[in-house]
Formats: sequence, C-alpha cells, structure tokens
Amino acid sequence: MSTEAIAVEKPKRNYNVLFGLTLLALLVLLWIVLSVATPSFASGNNLANLLRQGSMIAIMAVGQTFVIITGGIDLSVGAVVGFATVVVAMMINAGFPIWLAILVTLLVGVAIGMFHGFGIVKMGLPPFIITLATLTSLRGIGLLMTNGNSININSDTFTAFSRNSFIGIPNLFWMVILVGIPAYVFLHHSRWGRYLFSVGSNAEASRLSGVNVQRTIYMAYTLSGLCAAFVGVLLAARIGIGNPTQAEGWELQAIASSVIGGTSLFGAVGSVHGPLLGAFILATINNGANLLNVNSFWQRIITGALIIIIVYFDGLRRRGK
Amino acid sequence: MTSTAQELHPAPVLAPGRTILELRGLEKRYPGTHALKPVNLAFKSGEIHAIVGENGAGKSTLIKLLTGVMPRTSGEVIWEGQPAALATPHEAMALGINAVHQEVVLCRHLTVAANMFLGEENSRFGILQQRAMVKDAQKIIDDLGFDLPAHVTLGDLTIGQQQLIAAARATVRGTKFLIFDEPTAYLTRKEADQLFTLIRRLKGEGVTIIYISHRMEEVFELADRVSVLRDGTLVGTRNIAETNDAELVKMMINRSIEQVYHKEHFTPGAPILEARNLSGKGFEDVSMTVRAGEIVGLYGLIGAGRSEFVTTLYGRHRKSAGQILWEGKEVQINSEHDAIKLGMALAPESRRDQGLCLNLSVGLNLNLPIYKRISNNLLISSAQEKTQADRQIADLRIKTPTRGALASSLSGGNQQKIVIGKWLAHGAKLFIFDEPTVGVDVGTKAEIYRLFGALLSKGAGIILISSYLPEVYELADTLHVFRRGKLVATHGFRAASHEDILTQALAEKQEKLGGQI
Repeated sequence: MSTEAIAVEKPKRNYNVLFGLTLLALLVLLWIVLSVATPSFASGNNLANLLRQGSMIAIMAVGQTFVIITGGIDLSVGAVVGFATVVVAMMINAGFPIWLAILVTLLVGVAIGMFHGFGIVKMGLPPFIITLATLTSLRGIGLLMTNGNSININSDTFTAFSRNSFIGIPNLFWMVILVGIPAYVFLHHSRWGRYLFSVGSNAEASRLSGVNVQRTIYMAYTLSGLCAAFVGVLLAARIGIGNPTQAEGWELQAIASSVIGGTSLFGAVGSVHGPLLGAFILATINNGANLLNVNSFWQRIITGALIIIIVYFDGLRRRGK
Repeated sequence: MTSTAQELHPAPVLAPGRTILELRGLEKRYPGTHALKPVNLAFKSGEIHAIVGENGAGKSTLIKLLTGVMPRTSGEVIWEGQPAALATPHEAMALGINAVHQEVVLCRHLTVAANMFLGEENSRFGILQQRAMVKDAQKIIDDLGFDLPAHVTLGDLTIGQQQLIAAARATVRGTKFLIFDEPTAYLTRKEADQLFTLIRRLKGEGVTIIYISHRMEEVFELADRVSVLRDGTLVGTRNIAETNDAELVKMMINRSIEQVYHKEHFTPGAPILEARNLSGKGFEDVSMTVRAGEIVGLYGLIGAGRSEFVTTLYGRHRKSAGQILWEGKEVQINSEHDAIKLGMALAPESRRDQGLCLNLSVGLNLNLPIYKRISNNLLISSAQEKTQADRQIADLRIKTPTRGALASSLSGGNQQKIVIGKWLAHGAKLFIFDEPTVGVDVGTKAEIYRLFGALLSKGAGIILISSYLPEVYELADTLHVFRRGKLVATHGFRAASHEDILTQALAEKQEKLGGQI
C-alpha cells in the first residue's frame, strides 16, 4: 500500500446516530402497524407487558455488547441468569435480607465474569470455549443445588417489585434506564470505553500504547456477568421462582439484539442504544406475533430473517457502497 | 530446465521491444479526489519499468486499474493491440496481468506447494495429487534458485521468504505483465538479490515488469525506464541511463535531495537511558547510552536483534541479564505500562499489526496513550480530546478529512504520522523509532526527520532503528551496528564509511557492493 487517495469518510459518530435513528424508526413503524392491525396491541396492559419482556434481554444485550466490542463473545449469559435466580431464591428463602441476597447474587455474576477473564487472559482459551464451558457447567451446578426442583420464593415484597410501575412505566423498564445511562457514559465518555474499542480493533497496538489489555478484557466479561446476574434477580422477581433451567437460549437473543443494534462480531464497532433498540424490536415482533395468532414457530423464522436483513444492510452501508 | 518447468513457464508470444500495453488518457476520480489525471504511457514487452512517486501520487490507483480491482473513470487500455475493459481481477489475470503486493496475500496456514497451485490444483478424479504438487512446486522453487522447502506451512517462513513464494507463484501462471508493489520492503538483502535474479530472468523471457519502489538504488539497479508520478500526474518517463537520483527526486517532490536528510546537531545532555550488559531473547550483552538531544542509530540486518533489544527495553519481553538505568537510577521494567510511565515511547515496526487501530478514528488513535491525562477519574474531557487530536493533525500535517475519519482510510505515510504523532502529546523523553520510514515516500520522510530535530531540541533522546543505511548514517549521532544479537561496532556521526559498516553488519566479505546501500 504505497499510495491511495484519502477516501472521504463520514465520522463514525454520525453514522452511529444515523443507524440508531433508523432502528428507532423501524421500532416505531412496527408499533404503528401493530396498533392498526390489532386493537389489543396499544392497550396499556400489553405495552407494559412488552416493556417487561424486552427489558431483561435488553440489559443482557448491553453487557454482551461490551464483550463483543473487544472482539469476544459471552455464551454463558443465559446460564448465568438461570443460576442467579437460584442463588437469589435460596438466599431469600434462607431468611437473608433482600438487599443482601441481591448483592451476593450480583457478586456471583462478577465472579463468573472474572473467571471468564482469567480463562481468556491467563489460560489462553478462546472466549467462545470458556463461556461455552460455563454455560453447560452452571446449569449443572444449579441443578445440583436445587436437586432439579424449582424454588418458590416466599417473599412478596421481592416479587411485587417486578409487577409494579412507577409513574405509569413498569419497574423493569426503569431498570433498563438504570443500566443504560451509566453504560452509555462508560462506553462513550470514559477512557475504559475507548480501551474496549481499541483492544477490539488491535490488541497489540493498544498494549504498545500503554493500554492494560488484560484488565480491559477482565472488565468486559465482568460487566457482562454482572448484567446477566442482575437480569437473573429481575427474572426471579418476575416469575417468583428460582430455577437453573430458566432463560434457556437467552444468550442467543442477547447476541441477536446486539447484532441487530449494529455491533460488529469482528469487534471495535458498537454502541449502547443499538442493542437496547434491538432487544425491543425483537420483543415487539414476538409480542405482535402472539397477538396476531401467528404460529410461534414462525416467530423464530422471522427473527432469523430480520438478523440477516439488518446486518446485510448495515454491512452495505459500512462498505460505503 | 526440465520439461515440467518448461510447461510451467510458457514462452511469451511477443518479441521483446514491442508494445504490449498502452494507456490512453487513463483517468480515475473518486468523490472529492482526482486520484489519477489522464495518463498516456506505453509499456514494452521484456522491459523493467519502474514507477516512482510520493504516497498519494497515484501509484496504487494505477495498479488497481491495471489489475482490474477498480474500474477506471475514463480512458482506454490497449492490450496487445486490442482494447481491454479490465473490469475484474479475473479478466486481468486471464490476459496475463498479475501483481505481487508488498504485504503477502496468501494463505498462511496452507503449505508452500498448496499456495503455489491455489486455484489450479492438480487433482485426479477429484482427489488432490498432493505429492505431485509438492514435487512440482519444489522444482519451480529450485529452478528459481530460492533455497526453500515446498512442503512446509507458509506461515513458518519469514515475511521475506513468503514474498519470494508470492513472486514464484505469479511466474507460473502464464504471466506476461507482472507488477511488483514495493516487494523489498520486508526483505533481507540476500532475499532481495534472489528476487532481482528472478525479475531479470522474467525480463529475459519477455515478461514486462512494473517495479514500484521508494528505494532509488533499486530502481537504478533494475529498471530500464522509469516513470514519475506526482499528485496523480505523470510528470515524465526517462531511460534509466539518461537520468540520476537527483533528477528523479526533484521530479517527484519538486525539491532537492539535500533537503531530505535534515540533520540538526545539539550538544548532548545528561544520559536518559543506559543499558548495561543487557541480555534477553534474541540479543546478548548489549551496552549503550542514550543522552538528551542525540539520535542513537541501530543498524543491522533484519533479525540481528535490534527490535528485540528495544522491545525488551520497552517491557514487552523480559530481560535475562543486565541492568537498565533511567536517568541514572536502576529501574525494573516489567510491562509496556512501566516503560511508558518512565517516559518512553515506541513507534513499532509494523503499522498495521502493532501501530494502529485501523478501523477506529484518527482521533482515537492519536489520543490512545493520553486518555488518562485528558480524563478526570470518570469522564473524558471531550473538548480536550478534540483539541489534542486536531493539534497533532495540524502540527504533523496529517492529510485527513476530519479527526473522525477511520485510520484505514489514510495513505501509508499519513498512517505513519499517526503512529509517531500519538506520542508527541504524551511528553515522552525517549523515543524509539523502529523502521519509521518503511513504505513512506521522500516527502513524508523529510517531514519525519524534521520532527526528530524538533524532539531533540526539546531535550528528548531518540533510538532510531533502520535497515536502510543512508538513513541512520545521515541522522545518527552515535551509530551501533548489530549482528546476530550482538553489538559489534560503534561509530560517531559519519565516522565510518558505508562499506565498513556493511562489512561489520554482514561479517563476510562483500564481493558486490553495487547498489548495496
């Protein structure tokens, strides 16, 4: 490469905003179409339900996105959610205060994330492998702990939280905002966020520029584990039980939300608003399909097709035609 | 030559000296850039035609048009008397136009033989004839005089050896027109000599060679004619016997060669870094001092231990023995982070692999070492992020539309300016430049050398590693020569002759020194 003309390229941030607006437009369009197609869609009850459905995947997708930006993947998040419901349920039933049960559950998520970082950084395992291993092991550990049974949570205060609303918006959706705003600030306005991108783009160049690459990788997986454990707490509150087989396949929904939201599986491209919108687009499709009595098998096919279409058009844009 | 080898090297149809390819008003426009202004040029069969010019002069654009990678905006290409569309790489290859790129584009995980025959495998009933392919490949390699095995994995060879395989591969495909894009950037002298032998031999067989290089001495050693591009315009074509270095440089950059190596002398100050009997992976018992205001040059062949020595100083690898003193005090450097904290900065050898986050913005790349400084405990000051990046872009005259443009969209020379520029705001005291001007044009070189002077005047010290002798010779206040991991000689500024330094670096009598330096 000795010479080339300087291609005129739009700044990345503008592109991110544009892509985000496109996703938002798609979401609004879906909502309008569904409101017209079925009267029950726009009812307050259904909308609240939709927000609750989307919220949990959205929070997982944010953590997942941090990992994907570094060029990795976290397949364990669904299993972490299931495991976290067990931990929080057992602690509450054992009589610990709710705040302590939640705190310990979150710390378990942090520990699992740290373990992933350890496997990748110190043992040199590919992210796909180490997180695949914890995916299956965590389900097993949870089943051992519960003997394969579900644990009914005997605290109404805990379960009521997920059903209640604050100024008309479900509490679960407020949790998305609680996670989303700090995540946005972290990713786009802190130096650690910049390091996630630089490590995903070129780890060697980052290391030679003084970035602590190992710590950055630890951080990404720890945050992903933390988000998943938090979703586990929310899920336990919503369904009122602890069960290690819950959230089966949620890792794939989280990855799909992230990818629909414009995250590149090659690393170094991603945002916070993207995966959030992606998660609610997926939730809307599922919700709408239910209301329209579309066979649930079709929902899966539609989701698959949507991933292909959105990523294809995003790729076209990025290559600059 | 065996019969197999003859089949693999079909004799070209054209008699030497006839026009094989003619460009008539060939032109390329990108949105916002006129990359190549209408070019009229005729290439003869059996000639070696060098093309020189600065980064951004239009050389790559020309190659991309000729190899069908990109469509032209207007103009005509006449191939053997017939107009050719050259719309796809496939069409170009079918005509016999091939290119060998600076960075090897082959499959590192496959064997040498598999790479040689990639896309044209020898198979019987769908089963690969692996043994036969290895044998044929070995024959071709032996025949070309490369001392390389055909059965090993390509990735196990050095970059230089891979380059030779890439060249060998291009010769077995009925090539009539072969483009070399800076082939020697990563080659040792011995490998370069083997490549030149191959090129001359292809010329003898009537193949037209386009040779693109920043190294003037190679152009004079090899070429029959040379064309100069500047700002997308063909400035002129000369017979090599009727021109000289000075004229070409002047055509390329509109300024004289003395202005390139711009050396400012400063009185050296206190020692910044001292290595005492330092040993590590790839080097042994090296002692040297770098003082404020001086350039310490490290010369030697690739693999002589220079890069290993500096990466150990920089904490990338552990030292096995010896001491490192920083401003007179012994220090332990266990990571790059430690080195950077002391005040070291490294611009590594390979821009793409070690220097840049290519798919991120210019601004992020420039600010990467200083994010800690431009953020408080939590947040980055976006105002400072902007001003710091814009200042480096302006100071270094980095040609980029905005600081938000991706690093990959810049030309090689401008990318190199980012690799260097990111350390300027950091305020380092010791700068290590590992091959800072590989693949960089004369104009950018001059700017980089001028920057050295600016750093020295602020009291910094510089370690300059180069495989290009004139560069270290004209710039280094102290010149250390490395050979096989050892520091074998030390000279003052221009204190020894080129020949002596080369002999020390090679440690064997040089029969031919023509074009060596």
